[in-house]
Amino acid sequence: MPESDQPHDEVRVHETTPLIEPGHTFASVTDKISSLVLKRRTPLGWFIGFGISFMLFQLFMLAVTNLVFTGVGIFGTNQPVGWAMPIINFVWWIGIGHAGTLISAILLLLRQEWRTSINRFAEAMTLFAVACAGMYPVFHLGRPWLAYWLFPYPNTMGIWPQFRSPLMWDVFAVSTYATVSALFWFIGLIPDFATLRDRAKSRGWQILYGLLAMGWRGSARHWARYEMAYLLLAGLATPLVLSVHTIVSFDFAVAQLPGWHATIFPPYFVAGAIYAGFAMVLTLTIPLRKFYGLEDFITDRHLRNMAKVMLATGLIVAYGYMMEAFFGWYSANKYERFMIWNRMTGPYWQFYWALILCNIVTPQLLWIRRIRHSTLALFIISLVVGVGMWLERFVIVVTSLHRDFLPSSWGMYWPTVWDWSMFIGTIGLFLTLLFLFIRFLPIISIFEMRTILPQAEVEEEAA
Amino acid sequence: MAERTRVEQNLTYATPRESARYQQRALLVGALFLVLFIVGAFLPITIGGGIDQFFHSYLVGFMFWLGVAMGCLGLLMLQHLTGGAWGLVIRRVLEAGTRVLPLMFLLFLPLAIFGLPHLYEWMHRTEITEKALRAVLEAKKNYLNPTFFLIRAAVYFAIWFALMFFLNRWSADQDRTAERRYSKNMTALSGPGIILFVLTTTFASVDWVMSLDAEWFSTIYGLIYVAGWTLSAFSFVIAVMVWLATRPPLEGEVRAAHFHDLGKLLLAFVMLWAYFAFSQFLIIWSGNIPEEAEWYLNRLRGGWGWIGVAVVLLHFALPFVLLLSRDLKRNARRLATIALFILVMRFVDLYWLIVPEFNRGHFKFEWMSIVCPIAFGGLWIAFFFWQLRLRPLLPINDPYFDEAIEHGKHGGH
Amino acid sequence: METKPPLYGLMAEFDNPTDLVEAARQTYDEGYRRINGYSPFPIEELAEAIGFHKTRLPLIVLLGGIFGGLAGYFMMYYMEVIDYPLNVGGRPFHSWPAFMPITFETTVLCAALAAVFGMLALNKLPQPYHPVFNAERFALATRDRFFLVIEARDPKFDHDKTLAFMWSLNPKEVVDVEV
Repeated sequence: MPESDQPHDEVRVHETTPLIEPGHTFASVTDKISSLVLKRRTPLGWFIGFGISFMLFQLFMLAVTNLVFTGVGIFGTNQPVGWAMPIINFVWWIGIGHAGTLISAILLLLRQEWRTSINRFAEAMTLFAVACAGMYPVFHLGRPWLAYWLFPYPNTMGIWPQFRSPLMWDVFAVSTYATVSALFWFIGLIPDFATLRDRAKSRGWQILYGLLAMGWRGSARHWARYEMAYLLLAGLATPLVLSVHTIVSFDFAVAQLPGWHATIFPPYFVAGAIYAGFAMVLTLTIPLRKFYGLEDFITDRHLRNMAKVMLATGLIVAYGYMMEAFFGWYSANKYERFMIWNRMTGPYWQFYWALILCNIVTPQLLWIRRIRHSTLALFIISLVVGVGMWLERFVIVVTSLHRDFLPSSWGMYWPTVWDWSMFIGTIGLFLTLLFLFIRFLPIISIFEMRTILPQAEVEEEAA
Repeated sequence: MAERTRVEQNLTYATPRESARYQQRALLVGALFLVLFIVGAFLPITIGGGIDQFFHSYLVGFMFWLGVAMGCLGLLMLQHLTGGAWGLVIRRVLEAGTRVLPLMFLLFLPLAIFGLPHLYEWMHRTEITEKALRAVLEAKKNYLNPTFFLIRAAVYFAIWFALMFFLNRWSADQDRTAERRYSKNMTALSGPGIILFVLTTTFASVDWVMSLDAEWFSTIYGLIYVAGWTLSAFSFVIAVMVWLATRPPLEGEVRAAHFHDLGKLLLAFVMLWAYFAFSQFLIIWSGNIPEEAEWYLNRLRGGWGWIGVAVVLLHFALPFVLLLSRDLKRNARRLATIALFILVMRFVDLYWLIVPEFNRGHFKFEWMSIVCPIAFGGLWIAFFFWQLRLRPLLPINDPYFDEAIEHGKHGGH
Repeated sequence: METKPPLYGLMAEFDNPTDLVEAARQTYDEGYRRINGYSPFPIEELAEAIGFHKTRLPLIVLLGGIFGGLAGYFMMYYMEVIDYPLNVGGRPFHSWPAFMPITFETTVLCAALAAVFGMLALNKLPQPYHPVFNAERFALATRDRFFLVIEARDPKFDHDKTLAFMWSLNPKEVVDVEV
């Protein structure tokens, strides 16, 4: 190869920060990450964090108990705002989940190696976010014990679900998404379970991790099929993740309501989901890597790349708002024009402008290099975006509904204490699951970290 | 000795000499069909001629080839932002594609000066008697009027020219000086540039095509054009790259691994286009609001539905299934065949979007709408080859040049 | 009185992937076929070196996807058109555009299940017992060590000759692996 004598390192000038700090070996990577799980003493900080999360989770249990005993009347949902906090929070949570799949699948297909140290964590986040999202459709049904009626199964009533409704599409999309995400996550964990099995000191953990590892032994034939399966799953998960939020957007767009019935909804919802998801990943990894001293593995370059993805998806979301506003006016349809005007100046105007501030104005700071390099600034911006994306769903759902076609049906909506309890409670559920995950499973994929070490390269002798 | 001449050739990466012959032939075909097309304007309506027909077909031909040039601009900025070997090896083709934009501007002039009354119902606002339509046109007159229309068009072209100018200029400067700062400049411009690209494409598609039916609107419409134009350009670029890669000087430099990447991206763009187009259809179909659904009914009734089916099967399903194959993506010639086929289907799709507007409810084969794209295509390709020959076929002084070429020598998966 | 337990094979240990791949290539060239490499992370070259080229997994996934898509579509067709036709807002019973999203989801679901369970089945996992685990240092195969095994079942296998051959590959250690 004639080019080999050219100094290649000099060429890689922009990428000054490595993906993994130099000096690590296969052994050091393995020991460092697995020790987070295997070391006996749990840090006090973990107990504090878990305790708070678990208390918030109890708020969820309380809200749900009241809900089941009293009925959905405890929510602020009314006429004309017949869809409110439950769907807002459902969409918010499911959107957050999307970044996990994006990081693990799409970045894998694009051969972006920087995904390696965050994909495990992001996939876990996906699963927990989908679990939180799933609570809303189940519990807002009013009779959650009959949730299985959503699925088509032969029944004594002799009827079937109605597949022309986007809500049925949602049932399939969300359950497929949950299943595939769980499989993807579990498959990714198998080699690491084997590592934990071989490292664990006590018999009990050896057996537990051994069962989960299913006898994995790192055989070359196994690895070849494993890699193929992982790649194929990534190829399937990529369109899947786009389809899920697309179908969530159909829940609204297929209706005839101004403010909901917009063809831009699918890509704009998908971008918003990824946007919120990356914000959440940043919100969680920034404190996490500090607390566990993982700066060697989750480097500043990871944070910067995530910031860039956030900026890009934020701009697509901005495009969506712009198209809604422009076509609201261009349509010359009085209902469309009223809808967009009402959003900007009606009773919920504060929400709309807060949304613009959080989702469009603030992230523009990410154009500035210095901001992208500041961990604190990234943390704050990602929190702001998380709030902004919640506001977006609030604005879409509530402002479109609260002004019905007939002024006699106009109304207002405000969430009740139970709406808030359930929402804050799901945050508790999410964090509780996350803390358990951090304690019992490797938060960084150990075997994939080994592959990005320079020593993992097989040196070919010059033929 | 033979070894040495090849090295020398490699350093300049000159466009193969046959390109001059292609350029002449394209120009000849373009000129002949242009004459035929202009003659068509004076032929009687009964045999498919006439001045109205002339401009209807003009719009089809113009939008199709504008799409290829604009798609090149969008892709050029995209590859500056993402980096990667695929972008580097096609960069010069993309740059030459953007430099055809002045030709597209010249072709836009007749449309802007003479064409508007023959195309857009909003030009005849005051003559329309149908109450509902009249009311809509009145409500939209601040946007849909000739003055503002032309101002907007001038803004679009100004933005496109500015982006084209700087991206090409810096690239040429880098060839000359080998300075790294030009790469930085191009990346820095491409961020805001791509935003401008998406916005101008959106508004241009609304102005020039969507407003043919002034009542109808769809918020995803702009994105369908963004994806469609990018797909057109990508198909065209792949075909040109295959032609270049099978002869010196690029033979052996651009290889299967590069085409594999290009094939994957082609598949991604096919899927993206289909995603946007189907989303729009499903939302409007399900909503079933009369004012909206009519737009699709015009494109499904009276024989037009068959074109719609053809678009679904041949613009999406067939390329999708074929491009799933790894072997096919690595086989340059087959990939080129699919790419050219997609380019043809891009035309069919555009025909289906535009022509039913003038022939509501009954399918019509317009020979003028075939002649015009061939005429413009001849001119376009001649212009393209002329521009392509002005520069080396690869950006030799790009900091990632060696890596990108090296990429082709390892397999990739 | 000492009876030797039956032998599964010989295992050589290496401390880097390059040596393992090189050793595997030589072993394959030497004519051994019942060989396997073990590593803490996937090494593309290793699979090729031991003569493993293509997996049938993509075909299984494709079939899974086709099955899922057809099953999803015809499930809806049966329920909405044949068994329980219901007029919803005047839309046709056979509303194919509305069937697309679920058809897509079932396609992906079945293809993904085929990928996961196909991979496990081809790998014969879960497998609670395997002789290689008997080697004491094999636990390091999930940390930082690389192993090459020649099975006793290999027609060319001869304990002493194979042992000598394996030592010639510059391993850190060569051990007997019992069944």
